[in-house]
Amino acid sequence: MKKPDSIKLLMVSLSIALTIGLIYFYLSKSETLKEAAISLYSFPDYPEALAGKDSVQLAKKISATEKRIFALQKKIENLWPYDPYLIINTTRNSFVLRTKRQILREGICSTGSYILLDAGDGQQWIFKTPKGELRILSKVVDPVWVKPDWAFIEESLPVPSVNDPDRYEYGSLGDYALRLGDGYMIHGTLYQRFLGLPVTHGCVRLGDEDLKIVYKNLQIGSKVYIF
Amino acid sequence: MKNINISKKTIVVFLVIQVAIALLAFILFGLIPAHSEAGKISAIAELKSGGTDKELPKETLNLIKEVRASEHHEAYLRSTLKLSRTDSIALFIDLNDSLAFLSLKGVYLFQSKISKIKINKGLKKLPYFLRDSLYSGPIQVIEEISSIEKFPIVVKKAPKDTAEANQSAPALPIQNDVYVMFSFSNNMVIEIDQEEDELAGTRRAYRQYKRQYRRWFLSENISALFDPDRSGYIYHITIELPREDARSIYRALPLKPFVVVRY
Repeated sequence: MKKPDSIKLLMVSLSIALTIGLIYFYLSKSETLKEAAISLYSFPDYPEALAGKDSVQLAKKISATEKRIFALQKKIENLWPYDPYLIINTTRNSFVLRTKRQILREGICSTGSYILLDAGDGQQWIFKTPKGELRILSKVVDPVWVKPDWAFIEESLPVPSVNDPDRYEYGSLGDYALRLGDGYMIHGTLYQRFLGLPVTHGCVRLGDEDLKIVYKNLQIGSKVYIF
Repeated sequence: MKNINISKKTIVVFLVIQVAIALLAFILFGLIPAHSEAGKISAIAELKSGGTDKELPKETLNLIKEVRASEHHEAYLRSTLKLSRTDSIALFIDLNDSLAFLSLKGVYLFQSKISKIKINKGLKKLPYFLRDSLYSGPIQVIEEISSIEKFPIVVKKAPKDTAEANQSAPALPIQNDVYVMFSFSNNMVIEIDQEEDELAGTRRAYRQYKRQYRRWFLSENISALFDPDRSGYIYHITIELPREDARSIYRALPLKPFVVVRY
């Protein structure tokens, strides 16, 4: 019995589609195919120039390399700050205060929220904590916050003139502040419940006790690593 | 309903075609790239060995192994020093001690224990001196695919009045799953996967990453088919880290970061 032409055509089309599908499948699985293929090969691990050397020469070579390794390790260790320094992880919102040899204190902090505040008319601010190697530029007891423009815009308040008394806020930065430059600081907070969360405008907020220890241990010029 | 008769011959022809396609695919997408890579490795091996393939005593072979390990360690430390002169955070992957860490100017910022390491067969089989040249010195990422954003920016319009301003509570970050792939010019790919199997985010985000990842490999494979200068075989390392550690590492790294690997 002869098959109708339409069925024959369908079968041929299906076969072609299946073949194309298979080629695509194999191509997408080519990593597996390559892994299978590379198993068929082996490469001799030639001892190259070292093969000509005897045990004594090789032992000497190892000893010379070990000496160089020791010297390099010393060089790297010398890169670590001798005085206490602070490391801030902006993803985890955590900090480590440490010296070359030991951890002095570790805990949670708050860093930049990554909010981009759009006030329209091309006015935009991005609240992120700067990353890299920074230094403590100055230390302040009972710091006063000089509110920038965005602090008013964020609260939908009119922006006052530069030296307007409304710009000065007392007590909101905690007992101490350590300035990092460009308006960024390490300071305390009234919002202790937000510690561990990225909620700041770029500054680093610490809990009261942590701030006290950080303030005491870091001096002007101390290094702060933020990542 | 009409009875459709499919002859035995048709079935056999169909199966033969499928087997032939599978075989052809294996040759074209598996064997040829692997053979070409193997040829390159063998040629370099011949050149390096200077024809030396004599049997060496076990003691000498062990010493040679030790020399190589210490030389590689030295190269790794030199890379650390070299990178300490830059202003960028670099990623160090120590396969020997199962550690991944970040360093800036020689100072270790963050460290995470690698829970799983997967190395593909080609890399495992690579002779020592070639593995050294693959890893020697810092390697720079040329392309990356990630399931999370580098900078999780949230755009917020300034509130219209004080009532709206008082309503806004801090927006907490969305914690997606972390899968990252770095590719390098030396034909190597390093993948950083979260060790947690359970997804914290949506399955959609995960699938989107996997799709991008597959597309990248597909385009590399197709390009290698038509460009004889490109190697079709990609050396591949996958490391697994705790999700939050992987996130910290990825977000800390600059765009196109430097990576140093110690095996």
